[in-house]
Amino acid sequence: MDRLVDISILMLEGTQVTLEIFFVTLLLALPLGLFAALGRLSSWKPLSLLMEFYIWLMRGTPLMLQLLFVYFALPMVGIRLPDIGAALLAFTLNYAAYFAEIFRAGIQSIPKGQYEAAETLGLTYAQTMRRIIMPQVFRIVLPPVSNETINLVKDTSLIYILAMNDLLRVARTIVQREFDMTPFVIAAVFYLVMTFVLTWGFKELEAYYGKYDR
Amino acid sequence: MANTTAEQARGAKIMLELRDIHKSYGGTEVLKGIDLTLKRGEVLAIIGPSGSGKSTMLRCLNFLEKIDRGSISIKGETLAFTDESGEVHYATGSDRRRLLSSMGMVFQQFNLFPHMTVMENLLEAPLTVKGRKREEVLPEAEALLDKVGLLEKRDAYPGKLSGGQQQRVAIARALAMKPDIMLFDEPTSALDPELTGEVLRTMRELAAERMTMVVVTHEMAFAREAASRVIFMAGGVIVESGDPQEFFAHPQEERTRAFLKNML
Ligand SMILES: Nc1ncnc2c1ncn2[C@@H]1O[C@H](COP(=O)(O)OP(=O)(O)O)[C@@H](O)[C@H]1O
Ligand SMILES: [Mg+2]
Repeated sequence: MDRLVDISILMLEGTQVTLEIFFVTLLLALPLGLFAALGRLSSWKPLSLLMEFYIWLMRGTPLMLQLLFVYFALPMVGIRLPDIGAALLAFTLNYAAYFAEIFRAGIQSIPKGQYEAAETLGLTYAQTMRRIIMPQVFRIVLPPVSNETINLVKDTSLIYILAMNDLLRVARTIVQREFDMTPFVIAAVFYLVMTFVLTWGFKELEAYYGKYDR
Repeated sequence: MANTTAEQARGAKIMLELRDIHKSYGGTEVLKGIDLTLKRGEVLAIIGPSGSGKSTMLRCLNFLEKIDRGSISIKGETLAFTDESGEVHYATGSDRRRLLSSMGMVFQQFNLFPHMTVMENLLEAPLTVKGRKREEVLPEAEALLDKVGLLEKRDAYPGKLSGGQQQRVAIARALAMKPDIMLFDEPTSALDPELTGEVLRTMRELAAERMTMVVVTHEMAFAREAASRVIFMAGGVIVESGDPQEFFAHPQEERTRAFLKNML
């Protein structure tokens, strides 16, 4: 029993790295994704094409490859990032692209009549987006954003290949040292707790914003 | 109606003036030269077959669509005009916003904001656009909801209301901006037949209060009884226009007669 506690404490440190990647990525990728979606929907062609390309590139290649690229290729052209910075850059760029697609679909699902009603009432475009469109989009995108967020928890384990001491690597190190599978079980429990908390939180949010029925 | 004729004789204020409005989508001309004058307190009913350009004309009026030629003035001020080279110029900035804010619009599909309660729908524009104080607008909004018979629904979300109730809220929402002219684009066409009555009643009350109204409608009874003038549109032109009693009793044009026969 003591041993179980010791291992768990060790692994909690790994969890800190995992959570740090998770929260910072989410914090950066959500607004970035929103701007990318607005850019993608912009009537200014160059911007729209650029965002389309970015989204295509990020969604069309493996996150693992993107991580390795940022980690190994950037230093070769003289851009050196701290390990955690490299990981965050790759995760943020990747997840922002997925969020952008979710937001784009959400924005496009709002009927034209909402814009027209707002316009005839005298709202400016910015007011219309802020007061009328985005609150509705927010509700529509909650379920897919929830999915992606839960994926992110699990995807953080990919930084394993960057030799950072996240939850998964800490577990493996102990397993290799002591020929005992318990750390993997504990890691699984940790991941499950994180995804469970998220699932619950998003369900509460969905219930709260579902108070009006379409 | 007799009132209107009397007011016209006194030279009532001109609220709306359209001259030679043309509008095309792609290669097809949808409005082929519309001329129209509307005086204060007039209730204009626009009837005509589907695709004749009725919605387009309303949408050109409130800037949801841009005209290709012609001129629009509202309460004597120019919203749009065409110069000698044929280019259309619109009023800009605060001038345009002021002119457009004197018109309220009611859509076929209601277009209420689903994430806001009935009351929030009414307050939105007066607070956000005019920057007025909440406690000042609230009693006005309550009075409007009372007028359309929906005060007890003030905290309901639109999704919980019937179509007829939603449309009455939409009318109240437009009125909350205190427009001088109300535009209606087939306000009862999306409703189950048993729900059209309550909306038409609200509109009749508005007409009785001398609100200036333009109503695109398929409700011939409303056009005959509540309108002060009827125009029949077909193929992007105004085919015939007249006093409702005259218009329905003795339509002059063959196309009007054919249309009316089909409606009955
Ligand atoms: N945004 C648009 N783009 C292309 N064509 C349109 C558009 N809006 C309307 N039209 C066309 O213009 C014609 C007139 O439409 P509309 O004004 O909606 O007629 P009505 O309201 O009398 O039924 C129709 O043939 C319609 O297909
Ligand atoms: Mg129409």
